[in-house]
Amino acid sequence: MSSSDISPGQAIPSTPEDVPGGRKSASSHILGTGAGMIQSFKPINNFQQHVCTWAIFSHDMKRQIETHHYCSRLNEDFLQCLVYDTDRADGRLIGVEYIISERLFLGLPDEEKKLWHSHFYEIKNGLWVNPGVPEIVQKLELKQLANTYGKFWCTWQFDRGDRLPLGPPALMMSPQAQAPGQIRPELIKERDEKYHISTSEKAESRKDIQGPELIHPLSDLWKTTGKGWAVDLKEVDMILRAGTPLADMDRNTNVDTTEDSKGDESRL
Amino acid sequence: MQRDETDRAIRERESASSARMATAVGPGPIRGPDDVPGEPTKTMTMLKERGASVMQSLKPISRIHQHLCAFHFYAYDMRRQVEAHHYCTHYNEDVHQCAIFDSDKENARLIGVEYIVTEKLFKSLPDEEKKLWHSHEYEVKSGVLFLPGIPQPIEHSEMKMLAKTYGKVFHFWQFDRGDSLPLGPPQLMMALTADGQLQQELAADVEKRYDVSFAEKRKNREDLEGPEGGVHSLSNSWTSGKGLASAIRPVESCEGVFQSVHL
Repeated sequence: MSSSDISPGQAIPSTPEDVPGGRKSASSHILGTGAGMIQSFKPINNFQQHVCTWAIFSHDMKRQIETHHYCSRLNEDFLQCLVYDTDRADGRLIGVEYIISERLFLGLPDEEKKLWHSHFYEIKNGLWVNPGVPEIVQKLELKQLANTYGKFWCTWQFDRGDRLPLGPPALMMSPQAQAPGQIRPELIKERDEKYHISTSEKAESRKDIQGPELIHPLSDLWKTTGKGWAVDLKEVDMILRAGTPLADMDRNTNVDTTEDSKGDESRL
Repeated sequence: MQRDETDRAIRERESASSARMATAVGPGPIRGPDDVPGEPTKTMTMLKERGASVMQSLKPISRIHQHLCAFHFYAYDMRRQVEAHHYCTHYNEDVHQCAIFDSDKENARLIGVEYIVTEKLFKSLPDEEKKLWHSHEYEVKSGVLFLPGIPQPIEHSEMKMLAKTYGKVFHFWQFDRGDSLPLGPPQLMMALTADGQLQQELAADVEKRYDVSFAEKRKNREDLEGPEGGVHSLSNSWTSGKGLASAIRPVESCEGVFQSVHL
């Protein structure tokens, strides 16, 4: 069985240089550039907002990674983000995060809420930044984003040594005031030096940012349970019939995240 | 006491949510992108974001250079097939990384991620890992995988390479079962391996919209070959009769550092 919390790797973080593979040939480059000029990239054109922050593996909260989100807003309540491990051209695509307003979050089934995390702490404390954007401009949108919740699946656990994406995606959590949600100072220092910014100064300037009246107790659930979530891929009988109208489909709509599920077999 | 007030406040707020919020979960008709719940983006929000984005460099995003259209089905249920729009970066000569969307429109939903590797790299994966991957030979040779807008000769060249690769794809948003938001665990997806699997209405719809003929592409790609060593027996694992479905499991995650907070 393949699981997000089991690694065949060496546990030494891998870097972009560790991704196996040859350098792109000249013809690859030409084909790539050519295609780029002829095709339209409407969905991608909207990914205009770069956010740098940290995320923590929900199944092992000692593992913290710096993340680079590139976000696209679908409407006033919803953003979708492609997440990379750096903002350089050799950035590896390491996952996807969805960001929703408090309003949308409250409408989720309770079992679903348990997979989400809040953003208030990391925004208020200057961890979440838009590199290159003056703080005064960042703050305009941060006031709104401070009330959002996120769901982040990490598809490439490069920090545990994976040179290629292995296993199922892992659920991520966000920085929080409570240990082990606090980001290690040396990571913050490194990030600050890279961008010539001061996280603590940003925290100071963001003192007036208000968060939700109440952070929902089902988000950041590890704070009350000390537990995170691992994803398992289990063998089940394959349904092969094709051509069946969707209306006849047997749909299993609910996520079973009850604590005592004992690795149940329900197909999610 | 405090917990009761908290619950009441939550209940009040939840009941005040609009009907659209309550229908975030299926079952129901397939939801289109216009069903993503939420208010339309305010002008002010857009201006703030545009203003900020002008100052940022978006290097990893600017490397996305290829749009590829294909079909995926759930790794445990072939009846559930979706059109998948890949926006890919050739990371290096042997690895591609793709963002998957449900359409090629501006309001397309980001539904998943696919990684594509050459045969050489696929063979180097642990056997347990190989089971999560699918081959591309059939999709390419049958013509159902294509690059919208790209002239046939250029597309052919790219297809020659793709036919020998393997892919691994997860979807996060089951819009096809009626979810108006991305719910539940990630879903492993698989790709077609033989004639008779692809739903004809789905195929016909794509052919019509892009003004392409899969049959014509199939003919044009007759000369292409799959992986040198043949399609690996551990890939397309569902063909053995066993699909792969996701389950979420609670795990201790805060060893040694946890301080429980009681509400």
